[in-house]
Amino acid sequence: MVVLNMQPQTGSGLRPDLMPILKVKDLSVSRSGKLVIYGINLEVFKGEFIGLVGPNGSGKSTLLLAILGVLKAQQGTVSLYGHRPMSRNILGKIGWVSQAAAVMPKNVRITVRELIQLGTLTSRNMFFPRKAIHRQRVENAIKMVGLEDVADNDIVHLSGGQRQRAVIGRALASNSQFILLDEPLVGIDRDSRNALLKLLDRLCHEEDKTILMVSHDLAAIRQTAHRMIYLEETIRFDGPTEEFPDLTTLAGLRGIEPVHGHTHEHTTPVNVDAPNDGEEEGEKEEE
Amino acid sequence: MEVAKPVLEFIAPMVPGEIFPYFFTMEMFQRALVAAVLVTLVAGVLGSFLLVRNLALIGDGLAHVSFGGVAVGVVLGASSPLWYALVFSVVSAILIHELQTRELLTGDASIAIFLTGMLALGLVVLRVFGGGITSDIEGYLFGSLLLIDEESLDLIATISIVSLISLMLLYSGLLSTTIDPLAARVQGLPVRAIGLVFSIITAAVVVSMVQVIGALLVTALLVTPAATGGLIGRSFRSCLIWAQIFGLSSVFLGLYLSAEYDSGSGAMIALVAASIFAAVAIMQIVWKTIIRPSDNWN
Repeated sequence: MVVLNMQPQTGSGLRPDLMPILKVKDLSVSRSGKLVIYGINLEVFKGEFIGLVGPNGSGKSTLLLAILGVLKAQQGTVSLYGHRPMSRNILGKIGWVSQAAAVMPKNVRITVRELIQLGTLTSRNMFFPRKAIHRQRVENAIKMVGLEDVADNDIVHLSGGQRQRAVIGRALASNSQFILLDEPLVGIDRDSRNALLKLLDRLCHEEDKTILMVSHDLAAIRQTAHRMIYLEETIRFDGPTEEFPDLTTLAGLRGIEPVHGHTHEHTTPVNVDAPNDGEEEGEKEEE
Repeated sequence: MEVAKPVLEFIAPMVPGEIFPYFFTMEMFQRALVAAVLVTLVAGVLGSFLLVRNLALIGDGLAHVSFGGVAVGVVLGASSPLWYALVFSVVSAILIHELQTRELLTGDASIAIFLTGMLALGLVVLRVFGGGITSDIEGYLFGSLLLIDEESLDLIATISIVSLISLMLLYSGLLSTTIDPLAARVQGLPVRAIGLVFSIITAAVVVSMVQVIGALLVTALLVTPAATGGLIGRSFRSCLIWAQIFGLSSVFLGLYLSAEYDSGSGAMIALVAASIFAAVAIMQIVWKTIIRPSDNWN
């Protein structure tokens, strides 16, 4: 059990004037018989850009899957726009952006436009997709993610950053208001990463989208997110980005004590952020 | 057949060879040609989806299962053992799908178990209750285009047309669930039901192909043209079109060569399909390494 050195702050204090679009109450989720996350209380408000961070295996993806309704709660409730996850009433409002580098099949020939068009599908129009009606929405999504020049290119031939933008475009084409992203910065070079973060920031500010993004790239996400959540089995910190603790305090939150008599921030064994990881991967990919 | 007959007879005078033109004029040959073209059209579409879903070997597995069904049907004295093959294949496909989605067995393990189990059942039943591998049975192993009777053609045509229409209707849903099943689920698409229907379609199409090309060679029409299309296509739609072009070319060229040189039609079609794949792959390698080495497209 991790020792808590700091009381978690609640993000709900940020936008007290609005009804939350996501409300998670006392949520616990088990996977393969093992309790992965517990005691999660969370409220997300329209227009927020939230960074969800935590070390590997801390339950970030489990929390996202529970919010989406893919994983069942062992205890507690999740409410999206006042409805249960996967409810027909919220179809199309929620967008899921997977990690393109890991999820996109390598052996499929599909153009950016074909991929983004898939975002307009629902169970109602699945058999007869009304491409003419959705054309404008698809074109807007392509424009929003800045892929007009490569819209008819096979995604296999795109860079990691462009591929991730295409996956975001798919979520935008569905007109979703609340977008959940799972590690979108992995396998992307530095420039593309910055452009991607700018895009997400623009979606939040100009398109009024709400964003909940999981990332291990603490340095990058701190530049963009309004609010940070630090998760390790349960929420250890939830508050404005500027109040996010430094690495030493984070180590304390995780129950890690200095081995030597003194503490150097850069040597503290905290691997939650690994701010250089993404860079290295990206640079390797560019080569 | 009534629709195809005048078209085939119109084409007949333009067809080369001594024996190949019979495929356009004689009813027995015409039935064979119509069956081959129908299964090729649906196999191209189905194969393209199988490839991107990493299920290239399921066709082979279900073909072996179908052979087990045919063997049981023959021993029981069925006039059209393909109906037995259809039941065996569909039930196995549903069970394989369930084992995979419930993660009871990972990867191709469930395919391997059904392939060998059902094939063994067929072989044992044939040995104990039937006359072993007779020439009739061999026809289902290596294809027996000219033995397709009216009843078999009706079954093949029905399966092909229904499957082709179903695949067209499911096109976007299938592509969506193949690319990113979780995103599709969040969009509200019935991912599991789509997977199940796809498995049933695959099972039925494989059965329709058994008599045309043979249980051992089903993959040649199901996967090879789609794989060749994948080398050239730049979008999923263009891959489908190329798969049809390569599939139909393999069938016509394979039938022509088998008719003129008296070789087995199923084997010759499979050989032509593989040769086309090899030729296209070599051309691609030459293009990338010699003609346009600076172009790093794969």
